[in-house]
Amino acid sequence: MKTACIENKKMSAKEIIESYKGKPLRIMEVCGTHTHEIFRLGIRNILPDTIKLISGPGCPVCVTPVGFIDESLMLALEHRAVICTFGDLLRVPGSKMSLADSRQKGASIKMVYSPVDALSYAKEHPDKEIVFLSVGFETTTPASCLAVKKAKADGIKNFSLLVANKTMPEAYKILKNSADAFLYPGHVDAIAGTSVCESLVKEGVSGVVTGFTANELLTALAVAIKLSEKGKPFFKNCYPRVVKSEGNIPAQELVNETMESCDSEWRGLGKIKKSGLKLRADYKDFDARTRFNLPKIPGKSNPACRCGDILQGKCKPTECGLFGKICNPQHPVGACMVSNEGACSAYYQYGGNL
Amino acid sequence: MEKNITLAHGAGGKQTSMLIDEVFKTHFSNPLLTADDAAILQIDSGKIAFSTDGFIVSPFEFPGGNIGKLSICGTVNDLACMGAKPLYLTCAFVIEEGFPLTILEKIASSMEKTAKETGVKIVAGDTKVAGKGQIDNIFITTSGVGQLAEGISLSGSKACVGDAVIVTGDIGRHGCSILLSREDFGIETSIKSDCAPLWGAVEKMLEVTKTLHVIRDATRGGVGTVLYEIANQSNVGICLDSKEIPVSGEVAGVCGMLGLEPLYLACEGRLVVFAPMDEAEQIVKTLRQLPYSKEAAVIGEVTSEMPGRVVMKTEIGAKTLLPEPGGELLPRIC
Repeated sequence: MKTACIENKKMSAKEIIESYKGKPLRIMEVCGTHTHEIFRLGIRNILPDTIKLISGPGCPVCVTPVGFIDESLMLALEHRAVICTFGDLLRVPGSKMSLADSRQKGASIKMVYSPVDALSYAKEHPDKEIVFLSVGFETTTPASCLAVKKAKADGIKNFSLLVANKTMPEAYKILKNSADAFLYPGHVDAIAGTSVCESLVKEGVSGVVTGFTANELLTALAVAIKLSEKGKPFFKNCYPRVVKSEGNIPAQELVNETMESCDSEWRGLGKIKKSGLKLRADYKDFDARTRFNLPKIPGKSNPACRCGDILQGKCKPTECGLFGKICNPQHPVGACMVSNEGACSAYYQYGGNL
Repeated sequence: MEKNITLAHGAGGKQTSMLIDEVFKTHFSNPLLTADDAAILQIDSGKIAFSTDGFIVSPFEFPGGNIGKLSICGTVNDLACMGAKPLYLTCAFVIEEGFPLTILEKIASSMEKTAKETGVKIVAGDTKVAGKGQIDNIFITTSGVGQLAEGISLSGSKACVGDAVIVTGDIGRHGCSILLSREDFGIETSIKSDCAPLWGAVEKMLEVTKTLHVIRDATRGGVGTVLYEIANQSNVGICLDSKEIPVSGEVAGVCGMLGLEPLYLACEGRLVVFAPMDEAEQIVKTLRQLPYSKEAAVIGEVTSEMPGRVVMKTEIGAKTLLPEPGGELLPRIC
């Protein structure tokens, strides 16, 4: 009986989506994991022509600017620091090369699964300078903060972060006109809580907090469609089993203790005010930019790459002149082709090049 | 005898003889394995299959097996995939200086056990010792010949529209167990490699049907890679039903956490079989009675749509392309 109910609910959500005949709707999924799951489940293939799904800037790799890769390369090649990074960043092109390419020039680049692993590596190698590339949104930031807090408590002198962590709320405002509704990233809101997204309603920004299973994705889409039909800005938490309105308070406190808000450069979107994080003055010894006195590096991306337009839904990956020709997952030109969660990579892998 | 392998063990003198006598002969002994330069084998009339495979797995011991077991299974399974009964194997070892003899003994013992289970004889071998740091612990290469069953002709180019696609068990265990032993993710599981010799399964399938079209072992690149290979070789489309693909809860959990697709994780004891749909039920029933294929299942069918591509019917009933394999397995950020 229980199974039948769930099945019915899922079917009805799917039916709501498939049978939508209202005005054209642009729905932006903000999270890279959503992008990947939507493709994997084939959700795009059941949408009517009236609903357009846009893959927004929620893949941390995709929005990391070229200059950040160049800074990492400078640390690796000129300062001979050991760079510890999540695997996704390895193949992101910098102005001249990627971190993976730099290995051939003698750079020491180590793939880790958490910033705390990088800290352990630093403890084991006191003769080397270890820099962790701290990227990611509200979900991944607390782990970096934890690592830096532990490093300070343990008196570790050879560990620092190159910080490019970002926060979502200001990006929603910038992207307000790119979509009629957002599928808010469930894991981000699990940490940050829902109050910011709720208050965005006043600014005309609509969205639903979305989980990650097939059922949760379909339900959130159906709810977004139904609420859009009412014609007023809306907010709904469709992932209440995980997301609470107050969020994860200990994680928020940890971030506040170690980091503070700053303006931040997003690949494709440019500089967005108060959309990034930097280490607080108390932690400046762990800031790689201060420690190695890095100059400002603007970074040059390939001018033909349309990652920026793609992240704002101004064009589809297939409309970029490089897509599938010189830019593919084996030889990515833009960051959106690197990560599995990037829009271009997802389009490519799931047959957008056919 | 010394506790560790030294360069002298590979120099061809007294220590080499001791190593052969005390480790390899003890475990591999049979009348065909002699001190002569080559084994002399009796082959019945008909066709033989002949294959070779190199093994450099790191770590060399993993939950569910070791490089020794793997090296026998690998070649035995390659022969079995052609419908050939594995008869004779050769094995060549390259061992790093300093490698512990007790572990070599353990590896040889696994090889003996796996070979005996399959009924295959190790008839010739070679041992070389590489200097410290020149190789990663131990490499093994095995080659083997098998007698082709009468009237059997299997090939990756023989998949036909209407064929059922069968896997002989839950997928991705080997890849998952290696990944977890190699990297410290802090994840505790009881996942064991599926590494197993599969001639028994092939022999039983051939007893119930002579119309098998393709058998391939889903090793590197996993089931997904094999399906793309067959789709291309046979110029057909393949449609999978995601809910029929057997994946253990633990493997699915680890893949979920690390952002990996079980279809692309290596197996070392799973076959992908293509046979006419009306034979599929009988084949699956037969496989499920055997020790290494209890979870055999039909996971899809061969179609004429989108030749060279693998399409997946997903849990929401939509169809989407299975991404083509490529690149390294990089766990994602979040």
